[in-house]
Amino acid sequence: MGCFHSKGSKQYPVFEDPVALASQTTFSVSEVEALFELYKSISSSVIDDGLINKEEFQLAIFKNGKKENLFANRIFDMFDVKRKGFIDFGDFVRSLSVFHPNAPAEEKIDFSFKLYDLDSTGFIERQEVKQMLLALLWESEMKLTDETIEIILDKTFSEADTNQDGKIDKIDWQTYVTRNPSLLKVMTLPYLRDITTTFPSFVFNSKVDEVAT
Amino acid sequence: MKPICLNAFDIISLSPGFDLSGLFEKPNNQKAEARFTTKNSASAIVSKLEEIAQMERFNVKKKDGLVQLQGIKLGRKGQLAIEAEIFEVTPTFHMVEVKKRAGDTLEYQNFCTKELRPSLKDMIWTWQGEQQQQLPQPL
Repeated sequence: MGCFHSKGSKQYPVFEDPVALASQTTFSVSEVEALFELYKSISSSVIDDGLINKEEFQLAIFKNGKKENLFANRIFDMFDVKRKGFIDFGDFVRSLSVFHPNAPAEEKIDFSFKLYDLDSTGFIERQEVKQMLLALLWESEMKLTDETIEIILDKTFSEADTNQDGKIDKIDWQTYVTRNPSLLKVMTLPYLRDITTTFPSFVFNSKVDEVAT
Repeated sequence: MKPICLNAFDIISLSPGFDLSGLFEKPNNQKAEARFTTKNSASAIVSKLEEIAQMERFNVKKKDGLVQLQGIKLGRKGQLAIEAEIFEVTPTFHMVEVKKRAGDTLEYQNFCTKELRPSLKDMIWTWQGEQQQQLPQPL
């Protein structure tokens, strides 16, 4: 299970080696160590167990642990790769890696497709897009008529759904996003570039010197 | 004046639930941007912004769906520069994103609360401002 952190005497469950994580992701070893600082503060905010549960995730994003949100739920589910109801450090780093400005577009396209495919059928169906659209309108208190909503869906599907079967498959999505790169804006977090300055890690057994990153 | 057309996914991605930047920002970080929706046409919105700019002593630059306001007076951190970008949801429904480009954030927020929003009052359908400090204002 790799080494444990020498700062304090807390042993984190499923702590993965920063060097291994760096090699699997777009992050350098220093960046993984910086992410660990962030992870520590989020994972201890409600229950100090070294894992991020839904409430801690909501607290970190909305500053309100009780705020339920369809979209944040989707992101949480995507990060919670093993579907255990919590995010461990490895999940955290590997998932955030996709959001790095330098992460390959294919990873972002793949992640966003799965994100919008609410019931994981391998297709983004019109009904799912409608559900997400309604959720957004409700949460932002934007009122649109049913007719307007259908117009927006019609327009979107006429552009994205190439064989017009009411669903967007992976290839459709790839094509659509390549034509409209702004659709991937949600998939990039510029903050990840400066993570070592935002979260300086005072790691006593830092791996940075041991490995030429 | 050709605003960008928003599709369903553009709208969906506006949700703060997708915005992971909250993980990296300190609480009470005042975002210098706001959003409002309107049933007015794009050209009506632009005219109104130009009117406000003239009253408040801003220079205006327009390009496609973007209106840029450059303050003439020097503020605490230089001249205030604001950008309003107009997006079409449907031909009769638009969304406008207002952002600070330069200058002091507090001055920007004062401008939005005291000048921009009241002047746009009749046009605004819904307003999504800086969430933490939303003053209760009757629309």
